[in-house]
Amino acid sequence: MIPFELAEPKSLTEAIKLLAPDDAMVRPIAGGTALMLMMKAGVFHPTRLVSLGKIEKKYSGIAAGKDGLRIGAMTTLSALEQSLDMKKLAPVITRTLRTLSNVRVRNVATVGGALAHADPHMDLPPVLIALGASMSIAGPSGERELAVEDLFTGYYETVLQKNELIAEVRVPSQDGTRAAYMKVTTGSADDWPALGVAVALQSDGNAVKSARVVVSAATSKAMRLPGAEAALAGQRIDDKILARAGEAAANEADFIADVRGSVSYKRELLRVYIGRAVRAALESGAH
Amino acid sequence: MTARTIHFTLNGAPVTADIKPHHNLVELLQTHFGLTGARESCGQGLCGCCTVLVDGRAVSGCLFLAVRIDGTEVVTIEGLDAGGKLNPMQEAFVETGAFQCGYCTPGFILMANQLLDAHPDPDDDQIRHYLSGNLCRCAAYPQIIDAVKLAAKKRKTIAA
Repeated sequence: MIPFELAEPKSLTEAIKLLAPDDAMVRPIAGGTALMLMMKAGVFHPTRLVSLGKIEKKYSGIAAGKDGLRIGAMTTLSALEQSLDMKKLAPVITRTLRTLSNVRVRNVATVGGALAHADPHMDLPPVLIALGASMSIAGPSGERELAVEDLFTGYYETVLQKNELIAEVRVPSQDGTRAAYMKVTTGSADDWPALGVAVALQSDGNAVKSARVVVSAATSKAMRLPGAEAALAGQRIDDKILARAGEAAANEADFIADVRGSVSYKRELLRVYIGRAVRAALESGAH
Repeated sequence: MTARTIHFTLNGAPVTADIKPHHNLVELLQTHFGLTGARESCGQGLCGCCTVLVDGRAVSGCLFLAVRIDGTEVVTIEGLDAGGKLNPMQEAFVETGAFQCGYCTPGFILMANQLLDAHPDPDDDQIRHYLSGNLCRCAAYPQIIDAVKLAAKKRKTIAA
């Protein structure tokens, strides 16, 4: 790798001061599993990295409260996977993490990094969006709240300023939610997916009151599909309703082609997988 | 760029190294300590040949900045046969013939040890789950799974 400077601040506030609002070559690094790949591939040449590994311990941990879970941004994906609080609140997250990369990567990669990196193929963002998660974002003038669904603007792009850091992720209570995440890997089973679909339903048996449906990987960013959500809301689920929701999703998603599939292939995948994900959510049992 | 000094425990012994910020853990082990058991193969965290245990948890050495080792306990394959006796997992790999060329073997053994630490009596699904991020191009997978089960038995016998 190309040499760079490394800063290791002891606090989040100090880390923010070391970041540069106008310099894209100065970047924060958490677990580093994604950035290391980009640096080794020669597509990212930082002049300075600000390591978050030594900031306050309170940013690595999961706290359960009345209104849900607060997850420090430096919490590793393994810690989240093994958290009994997480499994109780939203078992869909636990299930999703089991097929996210491999144990070694999950031991190092962080929740904040999995969001800030904004690679549309990542598994956690669509699930967090479906569950209505939000973030606390720290910057030079304090903290602000942002819904995860409002974070992404495009491939590797977010609304975060270059001197802002995700401090905490909040997953609200999921009383009665039934949720599922499905991904389609067209290479090996643990390859990046060609499609990810996350669904979170409020339902009474087969009757769906409301739905949050999120697509990832087939698009340039993880995003909700309001047409598919509307096709499901207030309906008793059967093949006809699922076909209608799949059709709406296929028409509204903005697909991108890559080595894992063409636009037409991904459109067909989504058309089919909306139904499969909804059925998986209904069968998963309420949270 | 400025070198810095890090202190950590390597296979049980306290050590110090002067490193550059852009060096990864595999480079650190190979160039400063002559340890070649962790080797970079795919370079992307997929194959597991660079597996190292940091504070008891398996990491991909090729994707891990060496500076982050400061203050930790590092175990490599070279540290498993303390006192000249093979670790139960190493014995089990030998006894079941769980390798051909052996290039991936250190990574499999370290990863499988983390598995047994978490799940002392793993079923096939747990074994496959933990080892899904380790690739054996000789395809010794059936024997590797046998080896993990044998090692689980050996560890129980030792503990009993």
